[in-house]
Amino acid sequence: MAWATLKRNWLVMQRAYPWSYFIGTLAPGVFTVVLALLSYEAIGGGRVSAWFRDSSGTPDYLGYVTVGAAALMFTTRMVLWVAKAQITEQREGTLESQLLTPARRLPYLFGVAVQAFLTSLLELACLLGTALLLGVRLPAPDPYTLLVGVLAAFVAVVGLSIPVSAIMIAAGEAHVTQNTLFCLVGLVCGCTFPPALLPDPLAWVGELLPVTSALRVLRAASLHAAPLGQVTVDLLLCLGLGAAYVAVGLLILPYAERRAITRGASA
Amino acid sequence: MTRAIVTHDLVKIYPRRDRPWWRPAGPRRVAAPAVAGLRLTIPAGQVTGLLGLNGAGKTTTIRMLSTLLRPTSGSATVDGLDLVRDAREIRRRINMIAGGERMTYARLTGRENLWYFGQLYDVPRARLKARIGELLALVGLEHAADQRVEQYSKGMRQRLSIARGLINEPAYLLLDEPTLGLDAPIARDLRAVVAELARGGVGVLLTSHYLAEVEQLCARVHVIAAGRLVAQGTPAELTALTERRHTVEITLAAPAPAADQAVQALSVRTGAQVTAARDDELRPRYTVRHRHDLAGELATAVVAAGGAIVRLEVTPPTLEDAVLALADAARRPEAVPA
Repeated sequence: MAWATLKRNWLVMQRAYPWSYFIGTLAPGVFTVVLALLSYEAIGGGRVSAWFRDSSGTPDYLGYVTVGAAALMFTTRMVLWVAKAQITEQREGTLESQLLTPARRLPYLFGVAVQAFLTSLLELACLLGTALLLGVRLPAPDPYTLLVGVLAAFVAVVGLSIPVSAIMIAAGEAHVTQNTLFCLVGLVCGCTFPPALLPDPLAWVGELLPVTSALRVLRAASLHAAPLGQVTVDLLLCLGLGAAYVAVGLLILPYAERRAITRGASA
Repeated sequence: MTRAIVTHDLVKIYPRRDRPWWRPAGPRRVAAPAVAGLRLTIPAGQVTGLLGLNGAGKTTTIRMLSTLLRPTSGSATVDGLDLVRDAREIRRRINMIAGGERMTYARLTGRENLWYFGQLYDVPRARLKARIGELLALVGLEHAADQRVEQYSKGMRQRLSIARGLINEPAYLLLDEPTLGLDAPIARDLRAVVAELARGGVGVLLTSHYLAEVEQLCARVHVIAAGRLVAQGTPAELTALTERRHTVEITLAAPAPAADQAVQALSVRTGAQVTAARDDELRPRYTVRHRHDLAGELATAVVAAGGAIVRLEVTPPTLEDAVLALADAARRPEAVPA
């Protein structure tokens, strides 16, 4: 089931790659890096404040923002693929033929997610390549921690996408839901500035989103070459939250699907 | 255990928003019953018709039986399996084909679509390849098997949808207007396939606006109105229920007062309903409706009165008449047939 969906999505992506989504998510990532570069040089004079160094744990502002922008792009792209998978089926008229089958949802979503993951990694390479061209230099990461961090980010974002998918099909709407999530992640997860700058309630909301802890693992791996042992707490927090979102998503998805079908039938 | 789909007092009520949430007065949601206590039996190995006017509850019934919708109350079983509790197992045994709906992936080819749905139904790999070939041949899409569905015509998409509905070799097939939008030869072929499936033991539930199709295929027909069963029987039994019976239309070469009097006298004597009119060439035309076929008696009376008949047409009562009459009767509850 997962393999069949992965193959199906791969074929569809090859035949109709969503260029507008790619450009729509790459451009903000590049702008974020460019703005950080300009403000770092023009306003900060190539230096960061002691407050930033203390609260972010690094004096490398450009590296901090580049990893954050990459994480935000990864989250956006994955959500656009995974959370929108079912509402896209609904709009294209195939949701019912899916729900008629005995296939389970998790393997289906996993198949969509693996295709999205592979595609998003290639797209992320475009962002990181652009950042390199702009003069951003990242230190050599710890490969194991980075690999585990990327996988944890995968679990986190897929987990987050499942309840979002349920909300989308139940509401019959995608744009408001997805853009609210993107704004929230961009604001509270520490993508471009340390969450310490946020009021406490917003910082706690950020901690409830697994992207925040995933980002800490990714920064530790890529900016500090931290070994796996140093990121265990954040790793477990990220995986735990991701698993919790998966569980909640799978619990509410059948209700959302029935609501979507009922709305279609009674319309 | 008898193999069948059996429903017991099946009810589906859609909550409808009566007013926006910000307006304080009155109930915000009202119940809109689409199916109201339906009892049906769809046995294996035969085609069962489900007829009714638009909004009668046919599609809602099919969606409930296909597990897409949950009943508000009542229950249904498929070969003894409960529709809600055993939904996943039931999905292995049934499939649904809805006319005019897409239900396939536009950017995949016909073959890829069938492969994907075969995977969703866990059709064994060795069987799936052969099954795809059989189905493509069955619906006449072998030549377009490797063409993307977005390049298909509407009829080709519908034929692929039919193949999708058969990919899991269902024990029960729910057909909701399956020939909608199909060319006549393809529709005829589909009817042949459905009849063949039923002979092979598949239970089929068919809704269709083409009543000739229902008469041709269905061993039994259920007529529903406002979500309730108003009649059931063989097509012939239902047709006999209607009071809109034989219609005889007779056209004379020229106006003949004596013939006119003879027709009126026949009407008085038999109680037949007579309508007099003129055709395009201004020739007298009489339409006589009666529970018996009065063609012979009418022709004899007209000829005896000196009328010259140029055209005589007899229309026997149809299932369509029956459905219309039963739906009319259902609107007047005191007149609902038992």
